[in-house]
This record gives sequence, C-alpha cells and structure tokens, in this order.
Amino acid sequence: MLTRPSRSLHVGTLRFCCGVHIGSPPYKNTKERPAPMTHVLVIEDDVTTASEIEAALQDHGFAVTCVHNGREGLLQAFSDGFDLIVLDRMLPGTLDGLGVLTALRAAGIATPVLILSALSALDERVRGLRAGGDDYLTKPFEFIELTARLDALIRRRSVPVGGERESRLKVGKLEIDLLNRTVRRGERAIDLLPREYALLEHLMRNADQVVTRTMLFEAVWSYSYDERTNVIEVHIGRLRRKIDSEGEEQMIHTIRGAGYVLRSPK
Amino acid sequence: MFSVHLSEIPRTISFRTGLMFLALFGFSFLALFGYIYWQTAVYLTAEADTGLHRQIDNRSRQSPVLMEQEIRKHKLQDVEARLPHTLYDENGNYIAGAIHTLPPYKAFDKPTEFRWSNPRGRNRPIRFMVHRLDDQRILLVAQDMHDIHEFNELLVNALVSGGCLLLIVGLVGAVLLGHSARRRLDTLSSSIKGIIEGDLSGRLPTRGNHDDIDRIAHVVNGMLDELERLMREVKGVCDDIAHDLRTPLTRLIAGLERAQRRGLREDEYAQSIDSAITEARGLMLTFRALLRISEIEGSARRSNFSTVDLNLIAADAAEFFEPLAEERGIALSFTRSPSPALRSGDAQLLFDAACNLLDNAVKFSPDNGRIQVSVIAGAEGPGLRVSDNGPGIAPTEREAVFRRLYRSESSRHTAGNGLGLSMVSAVARLHDMRLTVQNAEPGCRIDLMSVRPG
Repeated sequence: MLTRPSRSLHVGTLRFCCGVHIGSPPYKNTKERPAPMTHVLVIEDDVTTASEIEAALQDHGFAVTCVHNGREGLLQAFSDGFDLIVLDRMLPGTLDGLGVLTALRAAGIATPVLILSALSALDERVRGLRAGGDDYLTKPFEFIELTARLDALIRRRSVPVGGERESRLKVGKLEIDLLNRTVRRGERAIDLLPREYALLEHLMRNADQVVTRTMLFEAVWSYSYDERTNVIEVHIGRLRRKIDSEGEEQMIHTIRGAGYVLRSPK
Repeated sequence: MFSVHLSEIPRTISFRTGLMFLALFGFSFLALFGYIYWQTAVYLTAEADTGLHRQIDNRSRQSPVLMEQEIRKHKLQDVEARLPHTLYDENGNYIAGAIHTLPPYKAFDKPTEFRWSNPRGRNRPIRFMVHRLDDQRILLVAQDMHDIHEFNELLVNALVSGGCLLLIVGLVGAVLLGHSARRRLDTLSSSIKGIIEGDLSGRLPTRGNHDDIDRIAHVVNGMLDELERLMREVKGVCDDIAHDLRTPLTRLIAGLERAQRRGLREDEYAQSIDSAITEARGLMLTFRALLRISEIEGSARRSNFSTVDLNLIAADAAEFFEPLAEERGIALSFTRSPSPALRSGDAQLLFDAACNLLDNAVKFSPDNGRIQVSVIAGAEGPGLRVSDNGPGIAPTEREAVFRRLYRSESSRHTAGNGLGLSMVSAVARLHDMRLTVQNAEPGCRIDLMSVRPG
C-alpha cells in the first residue's frame, strides 16, 4: 500500500514552512489584570469589518477596543494594558500594520499580536511573523477561526516560562507520555501512527478549546491549509476510532463548520 | 496599400538610413577618386620631368656640333612636335629647333609649363626645361603635355559622371526603401488598428524572412496570442462565475426568503440559518480559491522559491490523502524517484498542487480502485505523476479542465468548485512545469513535469 515516509522525513518538511505555532516563545505575563475578562485591542481601518470583529469577539466573551488607524492603535497599546492585539496588515497613513508591530516590539510591549491580512503570500506571512507577530490570518476568514486562534494565543501566553517541560499530558483518563510517545486511555494502551500521535498531542495541549482544521493542519502537517477537502476530518475520524473504543464516551468532538475540541468525558 | 504619399517617404527610417549611407559612400567615393586622381597626375608629371632630365643628359654628352645637327634632324623627324628640342645662343637667340622664341622660365633645370602654338597650328601645353650648356649656349628640352592633360580630364569626367550616377541610384534606392518600409509599416499599423478596434484574432503579417520587422511582428503576435488567451479566459471566467455562483446564491436567497415567509419555530429558524451559512461558506471558499489562483498567476510568489524535494512533498501529500483513499477502499501507492528530486520551487504551492491532483484522483476513482503517485525524473528536472483508474477525461475536455470553474459533464454532480486543476495549472506555470492529461487506459494520468524555462 502506501510507502510511509519515515518520521525524520517529516522533520525535514517541517523546516520548509514557517508553521505558525512552531518556535515562537511564550510571552511573559507582563501584567496581572484584576478582571478575568480578556481585553482585546482591534486595529482595523475598515469600520464595518472592525465592528463585525468587535461583535464576534464580544460574543466570545472578550472586552474589545476598536481603533481605525496605526497611530491611534499604537497610542492605545502603549497606554492601556491589553491581553491581545488584532492588527490589520494594511492600514492607511504612514504607519501600516508592520510599522505598528515593529514600534510595539521596540518599545518592549510583548502583548501577543494576531495579524490580519488580505495578502496570503507565504513570504508576507513570514514577514509578519518576523516583525514580531504571533499569528497570521488571511482575509476573508471566519470568526470562529479568529476566536480559536486568539484563545490559543492566550493559552500559549499562560504557559509558565522556564518551567520544566512536562513529560506527560493528561485529559481525563487519556494520557500521553511525551518522552516514550506512548498513549493510554485508562488501562488500555493505544497504538498510533506518527501523524495520529501528533494530532492527538496538539489536541491535548489545547484541551477544552476549539482547534480549527486550519490550526491543526498548520501545526501537524506544517503546510498552510487550503481548505477544499475534508481530509482532516478523515484523519480525525481514524484517531477517534482508536481513542474511543466501544462503550467509552467520545472525547474528540466536532464543532460544526469550525474544528474540533478534545474534552474529558463528564 | 499604394496610397503612400511621396512626402511621407523622407520621414521613414529606411529612407533616412539610405540617405545616410549614400552620404557616407559618396564621401568615401570622393576621397578615393580624388586620391587616385592626385596620385596619377603627380606620377605622370614626374615621369615627364624624368624624361626631360634624361634628354638633357643625353644632349649634354653630344659635342656642340653634333648636338646642333641632331636638333635640326630631330625637328624634321618630329612632325607632331611632341618633343620640341631647341638650341639658343648664350643670349637666348634662336639657333636651331622647333621653338623659335625662348619661353619665359624661372630658373635653369627647373620644369616649367607654357602654351605653344606648334607648326601644325595647334595650341598645346608644353612642359620644358632650360639648361645652360658648357659652351654657355642654352638648350631647351620639352614635352607636349596634351595627352597627359587629356587623360587627367578623362579621369575627372569619369569621377563626376560616376558620382552623379551613384547619387541618382542611391536616391532612387533610398526612396524605394522608404517606400517599401512605409508600405510595410502601413500594413502593420492597419493590422494593429484592426486589433485595437476589437478583432483580437487578427495578427501582424510576416514575410517569413526573419528580418527585423518580422521578428518584432513575431514577438507582438506572441503577445497577442497570450492576450487573446487571457481575454478569452477572463470572459470564460466571468461567464462561469456568473453561471456557477448564481446557483448557490439562488439557493441561499430562496432559503432565506422561505424562512422569512413562513412562520417558523425557533429550531426551524436555526436550521434555515445553518443552511444559509453553509451556502455562504461554500461561496466564500470558491472566491478564496479564485483569489488564490489569481495571486499565484500574479507570480509574485517566486520570491518564496527555495530548493525543495519533490519526493518529500509528494510523500506528504500521499500520506495526507491515504486515510481518505482507504475509507473508499482505494489502493494508494507512492513511488519515490530513486535519486533526490530536487528543484527550485515553493513547497507550499507544490504540496497544494499535489493535493489537488490527489483530491481529483480520489474523487473520480471508483470504490476499491487504485491510485498511483510517483515522482519521476524528467529530462529537465523531476516531475510528479498521478494516475487513477477512474473514468478518465475525454480528449475533447483535456484543455478545458484547466479552465477556472470548468466542470466536465461527468463531474457536474460531484462536490467541488471546478478550481482544482486550474490551481495546479497556475502552479505549474509559475514553476515552469507542464501539466498534461493522458489516458491511462482505463483512467486518467496527469503529469506535472519540469520543462525548459521560457
């Protein structure tokens, strides 16, 4: 059947593309906010898009401040402590998205930044990430994609820095040993193919959070996703069949039109 | 095309070039012939002078008496007076010879010229030299220069008439050149005007002799071919977009209107909204794919090229699709090329292209069919081959399937937006690769092969 490339081959392909989640260091907790509500700064010149983003983020439970140009955005970002910044790549005037980002990072502000751009070219993406962006989303996008990515950024930020790298991940009874790359659910050992293991690891690191297909694809296959196919669905289906044996409650849930979430059964 | 006005000819480049060469050639001609004339004249005069010196020498050696006798005899013999030797006494009074009066002279032994009416009544140019003999008498030796002068005159005449002929032939040539160039350009510009007016199938006429204008016409024709293709494609795309996107939009609107019209329960509303979102998402995906193809065709992405290994990319794509194939019982096999399949390219785009080919193959293979993915070494670099045992693509449709939004009759009812192969085709063009569809008997074989750039 299929000649399966060895694991090392994939390590090789990982280097081809700048996968969004690869290699960016988690940011330090710069400020402790008294309110638990996440505060997002949206810098977007198109008023309609901005208000749509605002509405979507508010529905998601974020507090949102919208500004419509780079200067104002920079002032806001300097003066107020935000947890996240959503930054449009193309802004009117002299200060465009990359300029704002460069200025922010130069000033030592490490707030995670998600760049929105109409430019999907890979080098644009790489430029955005090099300038200090933490994630990159191409317009047009779906709001579930935006909120899932923002959630991931917040989560990444809360990972303690310098802490020992955990050697195992556990969600409910499902447990993976990161050193031996073995998986168990309760007493049952689960045998996974390398790609299935990578999928599961990513889902477990983001347990209880929506992970979109795009995010999964970028993280596990390290190409950026051209969503025409439901191929990921089939991969997840396979994984699901291995994780949930008969009589066990389902752990990987499909969020329709968006992605997946791994939850421990109640 | 004979409506070329004479007044327009002087403005043609050919005419001006012709004139310029005429001037250059005329100048060289003048210089060459002037030089020849000058050299000939100098040579002939010098010859005459040498003759005069020799005669003086010969005469000087004779005794005075013999000399006088010889000169008298010579006068009688030389009836044409070609060498009119004369002897004078020390005061210049005539003793014997042809010329009775001693002509004015500047110095002894220096050649001088004067005109002399000879005994036959002809006025002739004479070149002479005066020598004082040992006995103080004066000897004059001379030569009739008429023939030499006549030869020089002939030379000048030949020069002038040759020059005139050259000028006339050159001018006529330049006018003819200008005229023919003008006619050719008129033909070209009338063809171009036709094209500007909308006849995109028109082409510039060529003569097949590969001259400058022919070469430019060929280049322009190539550009017109590409333009025509693009125009047709744009028109085709517009038609296809209008046609293909109308259907989901109609469905979307119909669904929303139905929800508005009927008094629905809450869950029914939710269902309506869900299906509307699904339709709208489908539309969004189609637009995104269209944008992506445009972006690839804009070919700004070459900046992202690096050395990639087709073996790895194809293996990734095959591995990605393997579960999907397995679900349908399709045997998906992957054969890597024995040597590393390195080439310059954009890994992401090549991966997407491979995925699109695989997606098609899986879509059109029957259940329990087989798909083969192989990386093959071509003459100009590695290539990718995907073959399946599905229904294949009819020969008449093999070009059309690369068009955006084109869907063959047999595939109209399968899922998809008709953009997959267009995307692969755009990636192929960006990578100097050729995409070909062949019959795999049964099924379809699609090759994505490197070709020589340009």
